[in-house]
Amino acid sequence: MPSFVPTNAETLEEQRRYTQARLVEVECLDCLAKVSVKKNSEHHTSIQWSAEAVAACPELCRRTRSDSRDGDRGCPRLAASIEAAVAGGALSVGAEDGY
Amino acid sequence: MADTRTLDHGTTPLRYARGWHCLGLASTFSDGKPHAINGFGTKLVVWQDSKGELNVLDGYCRHMGGDLTQGEVKGDNIACPFHDWRWGGDGKCKEIPYARRVPLRARTQRYETAVVNGQLLIWNDPEGSAADRDILPPELPDVLTDKYTPWSWHTKEINGSHCRELIDNVADMAHFYYVHFAFPTSFRNIFEGHTATQFMESTGRPDKTTGGYSDANSTLKSVATYYGPSYMINWLTVDYKGFVTEVILINCHIPTGPDSFTLQYGISVQKPEGLDDKTVDYIAERYTESFGEGFLQDVHIWENKVAVQNPLLCEEDGPVYQLRRWYEQFYTDVADIKPEMTDRFEFEVDTTKANEYWHAEVAENLAKRAADDPETVSH
Repeated sequence: MPSFVPTNAETLEEQRRYTQARLVEVECLDCLAKVSVKKNSEHHTSIQWSAEAVAACPELCRRTRSDSRDGDRGCPRLAASIEAAVAGGALSVGAEDGY
Repeated sequence: MADTRTLDHGTTPLRYARGWHCLGLASTFSDGKPHAINGFGTKLVVWQDSKGELNVLDGYCRHMGGDLTQGEVKGDNIACPFHDWRWGGDGKCKEIPYARRVPLRARTQRYETAVVNGQLLIWNDPEGSAADRDILPPELPDVLTDKYTPWSWHTKEINGSHCRELIDNVADMAHFYYVHFAFPTSFRNIFEGHTATQFMESTGRPDKTTGGYSDANSTLKSVATYYGPSYMINWLTVDYKGFVTEVILINCHIPTGPDSFTLQYGISVQKPEGLDDKTVDYIAERYTESFGEGFLQDVHIWENKVAVQNPLLCEEDGPVYQLRRWYEQFYTDVADIKPEMTDRFEFEVDTTKANEYWHAEVAENLAKRAADDPETVSH
């Protein structure tokens, strides 16, 4: 059953642009997780995980269900791996056309 | 002009979200009378039976369409005011006092129920699946004990917008400055499975005084998680001049039609130690008032905006497209849910530049005010 169906074909291209464009694969230096990352600036980070990547990350696997409160700060090892990818030039930093 | 951008309003969904929906505080339904709640394009009837269980059925009798919410609770059943057909909480017709027997197929729409944190939740699924109790919102430790104030609960009907407008706020960094008058200094999102979380830290704008976020003397650390499509728990740590208060805000809604919903919100405040009850109540009331004002600020925007399927984003905006992709899972048959709707996604907004510009604007506003009215500022 359709829901929130766009009425303009260009909207599908927008959805692709905002959710997939410029994603670069980054491998964790400590485990087998591979994620897709985009960095528009030093502070900005967008990380797309897959189910396989989450299963490979010991940090995320240690979480318990209802403790979102103190939260989920993300995996520090992956954060370090992303920094290394930026430093090594594999992941470029900067927004194109603002997205 | 070919390069002029147009708004794609899209089409509104033809169904209501699958998941748990909160109808309000369980205690409001426990007086042995039928209660009416608008939801899912119909009216629901809610009543408590003799065992203390809360039951929820479609509000219209399957006999001749009588309004069960105007009927009577008889024994454990709800009796229709039209011909006294008696319906049980399991959705079956139990008795027709004037008939030799109850017809086959005398079964109406029932909603499975759960009571969490003193609130009544019901499971909605257009596919008719059994309730998934593994994805109920978590029980909040210490709430409903004397460590916290009782829920202060409020209801607001919203007309002219789909409830997705409310969900969009999860990814909306900049509206905290413009609508809620705060500087969001840190802003992150994590979407995963059936949950979507916003981590936000803010301080109030000194040039504004309305709403829960705007006090310049207070800083806020907020973690807000949607458990499914409609029930959010927002843990707020408010630091007011060094006096720290833990506030829990529940933000939930029931869709009532294709472009209307009922917003409900409840607030419970951890009682600060060493204060008497009267002061604690006073503090709780102030927080209730100010966060309630915060919702009204949002409501005004929603009621006047249009739906946008193709929002145009800038670098400082949050991940609206990914949030909507997550939200879509609740409007999709379970068999058609795509991995990207539930896969973990993390996003951190860079708030540095935005806050530079905003601080400059606020400084300008304060300077203007000082020039216009030197008296006020000196106080």
